[in-house]
Order: sequence, then structure tokens, then C-alpha cells
Amino acid sequence: MTGASGARPPSSWPLMASELSVLFRRLRTWAMLLALAAIPILIAAAVKLSAHPVAPGRGPPFLDRISQNGLFVGVTAMIVSVPLFLPLTIGVVAGDTIAGEANLGTLRYLLVAPAGRVRLLLIKYAAAAVFCLAATVTVAAAGALAGVALFPVGPVTLLSGDTIGVGESVLRSLLIAAYIAVSLLGLSAIGLAISTFTDVPVGAMAATVVLSVVSQVADNLPQLEWLHPWLFSHYWLGFADLLRQPISWTSFGDNALLQAGYILVAGALAYGKFTSKDVLS
Amino acid sequence: MTRVWLRWLPAALVPVALATAALSGSYQAGAATTLPHKTAAEVIAMIGHADVRALSGTLQQSSDLGLPQLPSVGPTASQGPASVMELLSGSHTARVYLDGPGKARFQVMDMLAERDVVRNGTDLWLYNSADNSAAHMTMPAEPARTPAPHAAPAPGVTTPEVLAQHFLAAVGPTTDVTVGDGTTVVGRTAYQLVIKPRSTGTLVDSVTIAVDSASGLPIGVDVRARGQGPAAFSLAFTDLSLSTPDAALFSFTPPRGAAVEEKATPQLRALPGKTGQAPQAKAAFARPTIAGSGWDAVMGLPAGTVPADVRSAPMLAQLTQPIPGGRALTTSLVTVLMLDDGRVFAGMVPLERLQAAAAAK
Repeated sequence: MTGASGARPPSSWPLMASELSVLFRRLRTWAMLLALAAIPILIAAAVKLSAHPVAPGRGPPFLDRISQNGLFVGVTAMIVSVPLFLPLTIGVVAGDTIAGEANLGTLRYLLVAPAGRVRLLLIKYAAAAVFCLAATVTVAAAGALAGVALFPVGPVTLLSGDTIGVGESVLRSLLIAAYIAVSLLGLSAIGLAISTFTDVPVGAMAATVVLSVVSQVADNLPQLEWLHPWLFSHYWLGFADLLRQPISWTSFGDNALLQAGYILVAGALAYGKFTSKDVLS
Repeated sequence: MTRVWLRWLPAALVPVALATAALSGSYQAGAATTLPHKTAAEVIAMIGHADVRALSGTLQQSSDLGLPQLPSVGPTASQGPASVMELLSGSHTARVYLDGPGKARFQVMDMLAERDVVRNGTDLWLYNSADNSAAHMTMPAEPARTPAPHAAPAPGVTTPEVLAQHFLAAVGPTTDVTVGDGTTVVGRTAYQLVIKPRSTGTLVDSVTIAVDSASGLPIGVDVRARGQGPAAFSLAFTDLSLSTPDAALFSFTPPRGAAVEEKATPQLRALPGKTGQAPQAKAAFARPTIAGSGWDAVMGLPAGTVPADVRSAPMLAQLTQPIPGGRALTTSLVTVLMLDDGRVFAGMVPLERLQAAAAAK
């Protein structure tokens, strides 16, 4: 079926390394990571500078805890950035994967190399997945740094009312970052699939971001309840289960399974389009 | 490039394969099983003799009472009267941990929030993460005789067992009790005890209790309403382990910065607010009058029992309909009549019966 995988060229690592270096040497990538890092810094600064203490239950969850414990800055920032900011950056990176190369006219050169189209798809997707992790870790790390710099740090209160030490709370923050990175894998796959259907990268980016918004709106409509467990954004805020005592892994597992399903479906679509398309540019 | 369709084959097959896998998984959950025959009396005796002292599990509760669906208004848990309303529609997940009669923990898992009930001996803690508030109560010491075996492990804790006891208490001459097909709940084979009121005066069509065939523990309760296909109310384990939970779970210290309130001793026997039982729970504190008996009993609360702010909550105004002399909340399972003079009537009966009971006073 795949002409490329018959004669397997030596290794994918050099290709992967070059793909990652192209991605992370782009000014755009750094601008997006900086914008993401600015979210927790903005939240921390706003809470620090405001004269009135935040009342519990106002604003994003955990906002009132920040002034008592800086470690909550990262968690609050992740909650704030999950619905829009993170999908926005993922949409830009994933939508650009194939369409960007086609638009620049570099796609055919990539395909001249004896790498094969399937492998190129896999490498493009892997690079987008690495960006997912980089983006969430950026928010978590910037949040931790801003929190430590501006607020006292101490034992963290979980949703269950139990208290854990600083070490375990750092571990749980990393788990949350991993959870969100996994949550975004489905969207990346969708972005990659859309990217194979067009030569206009902006179109693919916009379509990906719009899909993520549509999915979240549908998830809030009770009339579409039968659809909810199938929406890729359904478990996006489920990382709160990592802040319970004991940790509830159910949503982590359900989320991973759902994202795997989306990766398979979108991957199959991308494979169908990309291996059968005439690359002219 | 002649076999272009071959390259699109995965795109067609993968969704089909995934849908098949997902659907077969959900069919397996309710698969019928064959169990040694037991009569209804034997299954009820099994529940009575169940000696499950320790367990940890996850409960899923869902209500389909024919009310308009309320959109979830943001991640924070709603408070006050709204939280009662929120129980009337949609679904909730809770984790329950029990160890012996004196140790219990109940965690209602809300979106980005959690409400906890922790009981350790005579200490009872309530914690709400949405506003970081805690309340402490001292339970009456256990009486010398063994405590009622199937009382709620702590106020606010509703397990299938507590609910099953509640419905079994209603079993009498006005009720048919049968044993249905064996079923599977959380990977355990279970007998299905079907309780069907003979009276046509009630909204309840039947109550199905799934009883674990090995331990006799009720692991799921479905309440069906007349003329409605899907269960109007269901509470079942989605995850269950009968091993002893970690002892650290039962020692609760209110977190730093939490508002702690000391409250008066609660009444242990009160069955607290979980959808269908909400009116009865209020009644436990308010000396209700009960007209009729069995399934079509009507409970009346005197004026002043239900606070005015609950009665005037905008959410309640949306859900209730105006009727001469008051407002009525009609669901497929429970009806509540709130009269302008402050009296409240409730029951698992049609509205006309409540109005008749109100007029009889």
C-alpha cells in the first residue's frame, strides 16, 4: 500500500531533528511561547497589584488562593489558557505543517528526499506534539516562577480539602501540564489533516481554531448531551481530577483514549489525502 | 496512483472500527447473565445480611425528570438554592470510601470543585472547595447496642445501599416484588430486584435494585417513572473495590485559610438531598404531616419551614409553573406544591393529589 515504507531509509532522527530545529528557530514559535508565558505573569501581577483581596468564587477558579500560595498561579493560568490561547497556538503550528510547506513551495523538495510521504506526515505530527508539550510546560513554568517571585509559597490545598507539600504539588503541576498536552494531541491531528487539504496555511490554521471553539460550544449545549463524550474538547478541564485526593485517573484515561481515537481518524484522513495528492508546489 | 481508493480505505475503516469497539463495550456493561435462581424474599434477605464493612468506589448519579435542561453556568459549583436545582437535572459523580461503621468519606466531584463529607468516629467534617469553607460537627457517640446496620454512614452520604433500604422500607401489601434477569454492574454479576407499586396513584412505575450476587450489597438503583422510557433517576457504582481504603483518607484537617464553622449536632437518620429524596430530607427537620401511606403518601410542611429566599429563587421560578394559590414543580417522579401561604406539599404523586391534600387541611 505504501510505496515509501518498502525500502526503508536509514533513520528518521535526522529528519525529526531538522524539523524541530526549523520549528523552534522560527520567530513565530517564540512569539507564541512568550505570549503564553505572559498569561500567568499577567495574572500574578494583577492579583499582586490589586488593593482588594479576591473573594472566593469570583473570577477563574483558584484565583482567590493565589495571594496565599504562589503555586496556584500556574494552575489558574492553565485553566484560563485551555479554552482559547492554547488551541490558538496549536492551531497555528498544526495548520502550518503541510500547507505551510506547500505554500512556500518547499513541499516537493521534502518529498524528493527518500523519506516517503507517510514518514513526513509522522514527523510533522511528532513536531506538533512536541510543541503541545512545550506550550503547556511554558505556561506551568512561567506560572511557577511568577508565583514564587511574587507570593509566599507553602503547602497546597487540594480540591478535597487535603493539604500536600511543595514537592508533591510541583509533581501534580507537571501532571496537569502533561494532561493538557495529551488533551491537545487530538486537535493537533485534526490540524494536520486539514493542512493536507489546502495550500493556504492561514485557512488551515483558522479552520483548526474554529473547530476547537465549535467543539467547546457544543460541549456546553445540554441538547447535544449524546454527543458530548465524543467531542475532543470534552475532557479539557478534567485535569481538576489530578487535584483531588486520592488522584482520580479516570478522566486521564478517558481523555487519552478519546485523543487516541481522534489521532487515528484524523491520521487516516491525512494519510488518504496526502498520499493520493499531486504535489505541484 | 491507480489505486487511489486504497489510500482512502483507512479513513473509512478507522471510524467504523472505533465506533464498533465503543458500542460493543457499552453493550457488554449491561449484558444479561445467568445466576442460580433466587426468590425475591431470598434476595431481600441477601441485602439484609450483606456484611460489607469497607469499600471504595465511584458512584454515578443521573436524573432525567423531564425538566428543562439547565446549561452549566461556568466551572464553579453553584451554591444555595441553585445547587438543589442542579441535582434535579444532569448527572453527577461521587467517590465513596467506607471503613466500618464509623469511618466514611464522600466526595462529590464537581467541575473544578469538590464537596466532601468526612466522618471519623464522632467527628464529622463538611468541606466545599468552591468557597473554601469547612464545617465541623460532633456526632452523638455510638449507642452501646450495635448501630442500625444500614443507616447512612454519615449525613449527606447516599449510596445505592442507603437508597435501596429506603425503597425496601416502602415494600408492603401495595407492592409487587419480583426478581428480574441477572445483570452485570461494574464487572460483578448481580440480581435485579424489581419493586413495582400496585397503586396507580403514584408516579413511580418501578424501582430496580441491582444486588451483587457475591456479597449481597446493592450496587445500583434505577427508578422509573410512569410513561417514560429511560430511568428517571439512577444511582450506581461505576467502580467498586471491597478492600479497606487508606486510613489517611478519613483524617481531615481543615486547610489553612478555610472558613471553619462549628455546627450543631445533625440528625443521623435524616436522608439528605439527592433529587427524589429532597422533600423528605427537608421534612426530617420540620415535623411534616403525612397523608396516606406507601407510594402515594403526601408530605405536608407547615408554613415557615421552607425559607423565603428558597421560594423566591429565580431558578425555582423558571422551573415551577404558577397554579391557583401557589406554584408547582412537576417532574416525572416527584411533585412539589408551594402554596402562597407558605405551606409546601410534596410526594411521588400527580399534582391533583397534592392539591386535594392541601384542600383537606
